[in-house]
Amino acid sequence: MELYRKSASELSALLNKKEISALELADATLARIEAVEPAVDAFLSVNADAMREKARAVDEKRARGEALGALAGIPVAVKDNICTRGVATTCASKMLENFVPPYNATVVDKLEAADALIAGKVNMDEFAMGGSCENSAFKATKNPWDTSRVPGGSSGGSAAAVAACEVPLSLGSDTGGSIRCPAGLCGIVGLKPTYGSVSRFGLVAFASSLDQIGPFGRTVDDTALLFDVIRGKDSAHDATSKDCPFTMPGSDVRGMRIGVAKEYFGEGVSEEIKTAVLRAVDEFKAMGAEVVEVSLPSTGYALSAYYIISSAEASSNLARYDGVKYGYSGRRDGSLTDLYLSTRSEGFGREVKRRIMLGTYVLSSGYYDAYYKRAKMLQKQIAAEFAAAFEHCDLIATPTTPTTAFRLGEKLSDPLAMYASDICTVTANIAGLPGVSVPCGVDSEGLPIGLQLLGPHFSESKLLTAAKCFETAKGGFAVKEL
Amino acid sequence: MKFDVQHIAKLAMLKFTDEEAAEFEKEFESIVGMVENLPEIDSKGALLDPSNQMELREDVVVPSMPRNELLSNVPHLVAGCVVVPKTVE
Amino acid sequence: MGMNDYEVIVGLEVHAELCTETKIFCGCKNAFGAEVNTLCCPVCMGMPGTLPVLNKQVVDYAIKMGHALNCRINRVSKNDRKNYFYPDLPKAYQISQFDIPLCEDGYIDILVNGQKKRVGITRIHIEEDAGKLIHDDSFDGSLVDFNRCGVPLIEMVSEPDLRSAEEAKAYLEAITSILLYLGISDAKMQEGSVRADVNVSVRKKGSTEFGTRTEMKNVNSFGAVYRAIQYEAARQVEVLENGGVIEQETRRWDDAKGCNFLLRSKEDAQDYRYFPEPDLLTFEVSEAHVQELKDSIPELPVAKTIRYMQDFGLNQDDASLLASNKARSEFFDSCVAMHKCDAKLVSNWVIGDIARILNERRIEIGDTALTKENLTDMICLIEKGTISNTAAKTVLETIIEEDVSPAKVVEEKGLAQVNDADALQKIVNDVLAANQKAVADYKGGKTNVAGFLVGQCMKATKGKGNPATLREMVVAAIEAL
Repeated sequence: MELYRKSASELSALLNKKEISALELADATLARIEAVEPAVDAFLSVNADAMREKARAVDEKRARGEALGALAGIPVAVKDNICTRGVATTCASKMLENFVPPYNATVVDKLEAADALIAGKVNMDEFAMGGSCENSAFKATKNPWDTSRVPGGSSGGSAAAVAACEVPLSLGSDTGGSIRCPAGLCGIVGLKPTYGSVSRFGLVAFASSLDQIGPFGRTVDDTALLFDVIRGKDSAHDATSKDCPFTMPGSDVRGMRIGVAKEYFGEGVSEEIKTAVLRAVDEFKAMGAEVVEVSLPSTGYALSAYYIISSAEASSNLARYDGVKYGYSGRRDGSLTDLYLSTRSEGFGREVKRRIMLGTYVLSSGYYDAYYKRAKMLQKQIAAEFAAAFEHCDLIATPTTPTTAFRLGEKLSDPLAMYASDICTVTANIAGLPGVSVPCGVDSEGLPIGLQLLGPHFSESKLLTAAKCFETAKGGFAVKEL
Repeated sequence: MKFDVQHIAKLAMLKFTDEEAAEFEKEFESIVGMVENLPEIDSKGALLDPSNQMELREDVVVPSMPRNELLSNVPHLVAGCVVVPKTVE
Repeated sequence: MGMNDYEVIVGLEVHAELCTETKIFCGCKNAFGAEVNTLCCPVCMGMPGTLPVLNKQVVDYAIKMGHALNCRINRVSKNDRKNYFYPDLPKAYQISQFDIPLCEDGYIDILVNGQKKRVGITRIHIEEDAGKLIHDDSFDGSLVDFNRCGVPLIEMVSEPDLRSAEEAKAYLEAITSILLYLGISDAKMQEGSVRADVNVSVRKKGSTEFGTRTEMKNVNSFGAVYRAIQYEAARQVEVLENGGVIEQETRRWDDAKGCNFLLRSKEDAQDYRYFPEPDLLTFEVSEAHVQELKDSIPELPVAKTIRYMQDFGLNQDDASLLASNKARSEFFDSCVAMHKCDAKLVSNWVIGDIARILNERRIEIGDTALTKENLTDMICLIEKGTISNTAAKTVLETIIEEDVSPAKVVEEKGLAQVNDADALQKIVNDVLAANQKAVADYKGGKTNVAGFLVGQCMKATKGKGNPATLREMVVAAIEAL
């Protein structure tokens, strides 16, 4: 098998046995990227020199017999809203096209400490707003399963790069489904961890109370490995971060109670997807898990609450882009207001402006109680419903997305249709819960279907154990040849 | 539902041409229609969550960032300062 | 009708920078006067992906102030964002507190013309300061220095309980002296570490409804507070007397010109879109810690002033002058606690000669060698008649420089008063003989020349004579002539 097809765990074993060197792996990775990028368009920048240099350093470290990090020599792609010191971090926006942070995100420091090779920065919807990766100011990433289709978003580049075997691992961020949806549409594993379990320092904020960095991999073990490297409290930099107990996934789901909530199988979710997910639930039963019905009555309101809260926070988080301190700078020959207006009107794309407008509106005088506060109260209610459901079950199984990958351009002119792609995933962000998407088959057109598993706060070990058992039962997840 | 695009744009520090504003207004009717789909819910009381608290930081100095690094992205810099069009006040 | 038919209503919003080691949301040093943009990090600059982490000391200091102002402490609190665009605010929002300030519903007692007045405190909240804009006419643009971004502030909002410019000034002085007493702020208005926004309205005397208020910014000294209120009240009365109405607006005080200008009208009122800061969580201060902070509050200036007046019979001016300086009043307290000499005499020395020396040298009592033992010993020597007040000044010069007993100084410098009656009588006789004209004047009814003659006698004793004794002797000698 070609190196690029191998999982991170397999590559680690080869590196440890010195059957390959990190430099060889770096070169193989760069060759693969060069070969498939024209079709996939996942990367915004590839850092070949830095990657080779780090690979050499890892090889030397290994030769000296020094202790190596958990991801020694393994290439990882990083979503372009995660700050990398000295390397452009654009958020796929004209606004930050030339922004080079003088600091690393905490997760990037952790990758470096784990001796990983950062392969490059990957595409996304601008400022992580979107569900197709088409809202990038630079290019649209394609789904490796069918390059006329979207990879999903917003972490479309992260998902496509892994699905196309350009890298075994990548980091994305998930505010309303931005890791799980593209993982589902690209047929790979994507974990949105519990809110707070991974430091957000250096993640360019979209919606602070919902954003969470998480890993993508082609296997559950790889995904778990990357999560283990990035998780943990970051007291010095992120007041919302928490320590998260974690052990690598086990291989037994006997006695585990899998919840099924009818609210996730309603209108708007394709029949093929419902069937595939319910078949997956049966598979769990066959493995010795118990299946229970649970009720999450407020699910139907979650999307509204999500768009209110996320847009409100975004309108404030994105107010700092004013052409003064960094990033795109507009008209300088007029007044301060001219500079502000031209910078922001020219620097932001259409969808970003839409969200800023919505967020500004729901926070504005006279509307705060009706929208923002009501949405926050609803958030409490949704969280309480999940807490109640988890008294009867360990995990809840749902579809990841209502449809499989749609065609490029198909939903671009219809914001509401695009927003609806998050309908199954927003609840986890609203309630701060961990969720993982694993492939559970393909539809009649051969496009991947995602199974989403949701668990209580800090239940990542259990979630990934269930995911791994499912993976084993399926004999591993399919990889599409490009 | 009355949605004053130009007023919100002013608050958001965004500028729209009349055509853009008209388009936005149409889109917003449907988006606001969607987000208005919220149940009646008791929205009194403060948005506090005592069950999920943060720890506070000790008052210990951490070195600042060297100025040339810190200001490396500034579009217009003079004498170690960031330049903006003249402000009155 | 004129000014005298109106009552002035004033409320103050006072911002004070806290003197913590670090800023409120990052570890950068909190200091004044550093080179531009050198006390900054990506958090101060509001760079993408950076996050705030709240400094515990800021919360503690704010709670201390809350206790000092008799507030209820909200042990469970949060931070909120106040959104507006300005170049000195890098994130385009200020992290502040909106609906749950750390401290609420307090009061402060101030002294105005010998009367105690209670002023309500609506709230005290914590927030971050903004940067500084530098304007230079030689340059087409403004420059931004972010050093001050993230310096911790408390904002203290008073009820509209103040009724004159005098009261407002007394209130502000009381607040700053408490800040200094608690050691939580440098409280220097001139450096901008204390800033006041002044809300003013007027109403006809006897009316119970408030008039429309205006808010004044850029009021940067105690004197300016007084002048700004006088001006604004007069302006409002003039508008009303001319049949106009007061608009709810923000005005800017120009102390140099002695007048104010419209800054923002009500129509331009900003919509700050406050909402809970999502980068920070709820925080809780334990009951025990709140109590601990309460127990650490020293006796505060106004209480001290009242105690000095009641216990030692000091007048208000002396008592409040003494109480206004923490180090000096504590030194006074320690001297008085020794019960060796009259408290009033101690007060006279502390606010008199000692204060003069300290102020001249720009030092504080702790920077000198002066001890409570030596000062009280010196005063005892005066009380016993061993030394004169004049000689005591010489003793003070010495004991402020080194820790040496006043008795020893008196001995070494030969400062003891001459009480030998024969020796004094000789001096008196000599002085009278040398000043025949003055003696004649005295006899002619100008008895005030006795002072001159006593002075001459003191001079002859090189300050060691007892002036009271000498006066008796001079008068007796003249009468006997």
